[in-house]
Order: sequence, then structure tokens, then C-alpha cells
Amino acid sequence: MIDHSNREDFLNAIAEKAGRPRHQLQDHPFEPLNDLPETTLSGHSQDELEAIAKKNSEAVHVTFETTNKAGLADALNAYIEHDAPKTLILPTTDQYDDYGLRDWTKTVAPKPMYWTPGKGRDFNLKQAAAADVAIGFADYLLAESGTITIATTPGQGRGFHFLPTHYLAIVKKSNILPRSRQAMDRYDAAIKAGELQTSNINFITGPSNSGDIEMTLVVGVHGPLDMTYLVVEDM
Amino acid sequence: MTISTSDKPFLERVKESEQDKFMQASVAKSQDAQWDKREASRKELGNWPQWRDLGEQIRQHVIKYLPDYLEEFSDNIEKRGGHVYFAKTDKEAAAYITNLAKEKQAHKIVKSKSMVTTEINLDKELLKIPGTQLMETDLAEFILQEDDWAEPTHIVFPALAKNRDQVKEIFDKLGYEGDNDPEHLARFAREYLRRYFLQADFGITGCNFAIADSGLINLVTNEGNADLTMAIPKTQVVVMGMERIVPSLKEAETLDNMLSRSAVGQKLTSYCSFSGKQVEGEADGPEDFHVVIVDNGRSNALGTPFEPVLQCIRCGACLNVCPVYRHIGGHGYGSIYPGPIGAVLSPVLDGYEKFGDLPFASSLCAACTETCPVRIPLHRLLIKHREVMMDKLKMDHSFSDKIMKMVGVGTSAPVLFNMALDMDHPMMGVLSTKDQGSVENEYNSGRIKQTGMMPKLARGWTDVRDLPRPPKKNENFRHWFKQHKAALEAQKHD
Repeated sequence: MIDHSNREDFLNAIAEKAGRPRHQLQDHPFEPLNDLPETTLSGHSQDELEAIAKKNSEAVHVTFETTNKAGLADALNAYIEHDAPKTLILPTTDQYDDYGLRDWTKTVAPKPMYWTPGKGRDFNLKQAAAADVAIGFADYLLAESGTITIATTPGQGRGFHFLPTHYLAIVKKSNILPRSRQAMDRYDAAIKAGELQTSNINFITGPSNSGDIEMTLVVGVHGPLDMTYLVVEDM
Repeated sequence: MTISTSDKPFLERVKESEQDKFMQASVAKSQDAQWDKREASRKELGNWPQWRDLGEQIRQHVIKYLPDYLEEFSDNIEKRGGHVYFAKTDKEAAAYITNLAKEKQAHKIVKSKSMVTTEINLDKELLKIPGTQLMETDLAEFILQEDDWAEPTHIVFPALAKNRDQVKEIFDKLGYEGDNDPEHLARFAREYLRRYFLQADFGITGCNFAIADSGLINLVTNEGNADLTMAIPKTQVVVMGMERIVPSLKEAETLDNMLSRSAVGQKLTSYCSFSGKQVEGEADGPEDFHVVIVDNGRSNALGTPFEPVLQCIRCGACLNVCPVYRHIGGHGYGSIYPGPIGAVLSPVLDGYEKFGDLPFASSLCAACTETCPVRIPLHRLLIKHREVMMDKLKMDHSFSDKIMKMVGVGTSAPVLFNMALDMDHPMMGVLSTKDQGSVENEYNSGRIKQTGMMPKLARGWTDVRDLPRPPKKNENFRHWFKQHKAALEAQKHD
């Protein structure tokens, strides 16, 4: 049993200062006065959303590529050849079967390292930090802001998205959503239903950047120096 | 309490800031650039006034039911296996974190940008622990740290007052050998900090929004250092002001959209993360997760007319539109919270004795109120501070009262008012000079010069600028209007 005396003391004190009794919330839950988060940018077809996503992704310095399931392995090889990396990291996931990439993982060069469940913090972080390129799977792509969203899993950890130098995210066209609200609705429901057990959800909008020195935009600070989104159009 | 950044009196700080021409140019450039980006991003979103209504509603609701939301949040953090500590003061908060660092035998601490950790003086307390190293990892905070812990000047752009040559000079001491190109400087910081990051065992972050119903922390950043701080160390401490709470992930998402647009004119910043204690099976993220919820004077606002200040989402938009901030920059305010929000918040947190000058450091133009994404009536709260100071603190205003009474009598009696109009021009003649009219000199009737002698009553004005001499009676507005009206009537009859 956790001792809550520190908490109770604190909360009683602020309730007293506010002049409002505690435990009133259950009768007054939050009800938003408008539905702008849901309705903004609504009513677009998947083709239109893809076009909006492309425009907004490129505006945040993302390379936006498209392919289909049959061409996915070739598209990835072309991406890797472009940067000629010495090291590559991939997630551990069943999604390779879904995307038809199982064979590709056996032939791709350089030979990939994997973010590996059960191998612990140091092993995985060291690998990710040593990776020139990371290729991962995003859950959704948000058209309005050019954002990919990813929930952390045992096979694709937090550091996977931040430590490598170059980063590519694969995402299905059917998972392009209008805005952050639609993604959040899905995550919120999945967490509450117990379907998603994660400690972390990342909304990533282009490569890291900073304007801290004389307001000059520098792309690539702590996170990857560049980002590519690869949309699989027939999935 | 360490929100104070200077022991010097207000006017001295302002004078010093006025000398800093680079800072003024930087602030002006940043305000202008941010204006364009912010307004464009809000326009593109559309329905901005209605978004502000929603932002205000969310923030007002959570402040109204703050104890209930904090209780729910704390329960959910514990359900996820984390720990929550409620700190009434800065000292309690810093002591909890310092003791935890000792207990964990932290060697290398990493921090990501957080105003509240500056507020509780955490860095200096942690550095007292023998064998402990500490690194600020936000690029701007890193620059300030390596510049002997210089004070921040903006809540979003803390190193705004440093130019690239100064940054290069600071980095040279760390072994940098390149030029003053911001990209090269940033690359050096990346490599320097990356080495440190990979050895870090204790991470400290702030919190943009704490999500009550899921026990997650929402951080909104551009560089990626906060996410590394949450990924690499085994222990993470989140320090949050007690008002940074939202009901659910949905309201966090709404406010992230408004914060990103208002702070930096982006639709979303590079990284918006929703994060908590490591879940079983995951390799990284904190195994030991602590949240420290800080009051430290915030509750002084509860139940008072200043309660709306707790709605603040720390976007800094009010700083970016403020004409006073444009001239005196962050250091002029003498608080880690500068600008209009700082002028309202600092006296709430730390009293009028230290920050009583700040509510007067405003032209009351209301640009801050107009831009605030959550509709905090900032300029009205500044006026309220002035009222409270005069009344509650029983400041001596008997002289002002008498003067205002005399003005009241004079302006409400036509005989006296007309007499004053007859007399003001000749009476002010002794103190005035009349120069040739020009673009700079629009004082057609003469002026009392800034440096001239003036009775105490108008000193506040003539200490800093010229006071126009009132016009002659037959040149004043009423006289002109009468003649103009008569001339128009005459024209009609012709």
C-alpha cells in the first residue's frame, strides 16, 4: 500500500486555496465545446491525403517516396545504395511477412543488425548508435503535418528512431490519416482496451532541427540528420 | 526561490539591456521572423479564434478541477509502476531529486530543457554531489551551461542573446576547431553530447503536458535530446509545474498543435512524445520513473483574479509580440520568466517586493492578450497587479489621490477647465523651448526637453522623453473645431 500522505496534504492545501472542494470532477467531466480537432482537414480521399502528406512532408525536409508492395525491396535497396552505409539496423517484427520483406532481410547489404528483444539496454542502444541507417515501420502518416507516428515495441525501441544517422520509415498508404487527432483516437482506444501495451508513442515530423544559434535553422541536431518516408501505395 | 536572475534594481537592468545592441537586434529579428511563421501557421489551420476557445476551455477546466486531475494522474503513474512526489516548495523538489541521484549513485546526469528545473535551482544542487557530472543537452541550454551557467533570456529560445562568434568562443574551450557556421557548431555539439549521452545513467526532463487518464508525459521538442534523455538512462525524473495537466491524450494532442504553431510557427514540432515508465519486454526507456509535481507559489494564484495565469502553455508568443520585451530583452525583467507572462507570473510566484516593478513594465497595448493561444487576459492581469499593489500593500498614494482629486474637480467644472486651457500654454512657457519644426520635431507649440528641469509631478515623463507644450488657446483643438464648423456652416449658406 502506497503512503499518500504527501499527496493528500498537497492536494488538500491547493483545494483550500482555490476555495473549491475536491472530488467534483466525476460530475463535471470535460466536454469539448467544438469538434475542430476531428473536422479540420476531413472529407479527403486517400489519394488526396497522400498528396497533402507529400507536400507537408517535403516542407519539413523529408524525402517522400512511394512504391508498391512488389517494388518495396528494390526501393529499399536503392535508398541504401544512395547513402552507401557501413551499418544498417532493422526492427524485430512480424511486419516483414506482411510487407513481403522476409527474403529481402536475408539478402540486404550491409548485413543488418536488429533491435533485439531480450538483449537488453546496452546492446540495443550501442547498435542503434553505431547504425548509419535505420529502416523502421511507422504506424501512421499524418497528412496535415507530414508526421509519422510510432508506438514503442520490444522489437523497435525508443533509441531506434533517434540514434542512427539516417532514417527511413515505411508506412502503408491506407494508414495515412488527416491529422494528429485521428492517430490519437486510435492510440487512446487501443491503450484503454489493453490492445496496445507501450511506454512510449512518438510523433516524428521530419529530421531533428534547431534555431538556437542566431535563429538559423540547422537540420539534424540530436536525432537523425535526414529522414525518408516510403509509402506503400497498394497496402 | 530562484526565478530571480539579477540583484540589480529594475531601472539599472533596463539601462544595461538598452546598451546591448546585439541582443536588441536579435530579439527584433526573432520577433519579426516568428510573427510571419506564427500567423501563417494559424491562418493555414483556419478557425483560429475557435481553436483558442477550445484551448482556453481545456486549460480552465483542468485548473478548476486541478486536485482531482492531479490525483488521477498520480494514480495512473503508480499503476504503471512509477513514483510521484508532490513538492510544495523549490527546496522540497530539489531535495527529493538530489537524494534520489545520491541513492542511485548517479554519475552522469543528462537534462533536457526545462524552465521549472531552473526555477527550483536543480542544476546547482546536483553539482554539489561529489562525483556527479551534469549535462544540459538542449543546444541553447548547453551553450549557456558552458558559458558559466549564463541565464536564459527567452522561454523558447534561451540563448537568443548569444551570437555565433560568442558560441564559437564557448565551444573553442571544449576543443572545437571549426568556423562560426551554426551548422558546424551544432554538429560539434551533437558529437560532444552524444558521447556523454551514451554513458548517462540519470535523466531529467520537464513536461509540456501530463496526461491524467493514462499516466504519460507529453514532451514537445525539435532537437531530439529530450527523447534521448527518456530513452538512454535507467532512471528518469520528470519535473512539472502542478498546472501542466490535461484530461487525456486527445487534449494533449490539441494543445500540442496550438503550442507548436504559437511557439515556433510549426504544425507540429519534430518530436511530440507521450512517454512513461518502461513496459516489460522493452529494452530502453526508464526502469525507474519519478514525477515531481511542483507548487512553489503557483497556488498563490488559485482562487484569485490571477488564476488564469495558470492556463499558460509556455509558448512564448506573448514575448514574441511584446514591444517592451523587444527593447529590454529577457535580462531586463530579472526573472527566468520574462515578457508579459513573466510580468504576470513572477509576482505571483515570488511576491511584489522582488517583482513589483514588472507589472509597470508594459505599455498595456494588449498585443500579448491578443496572441495568447489560451486567451489569458495578460494586460488586464498586469493592471490587476497594479491595483493589488496599491490597495492591498497599502502603498502611499495620498499624493496621487490629491492630484487626481484636483484634476477631477478641474475637469468636471467648465469654468475651471476653460481657465486651465487659457493658462496652460503661458504657464508652461518658463520650462519650454521652441525649435524649428522638422520630421523629428513635431512639437509645434514648443516642448519641455527630456533633460530639462521639471517639477516632480511630471518627472517620470521628462526623465525619458520630451513633453509637448500645450498649444495656445486659439490654436487648440476645441478652438480649431469651432472655427472649422463655423466655416462649413458659412459655406453651406453661400
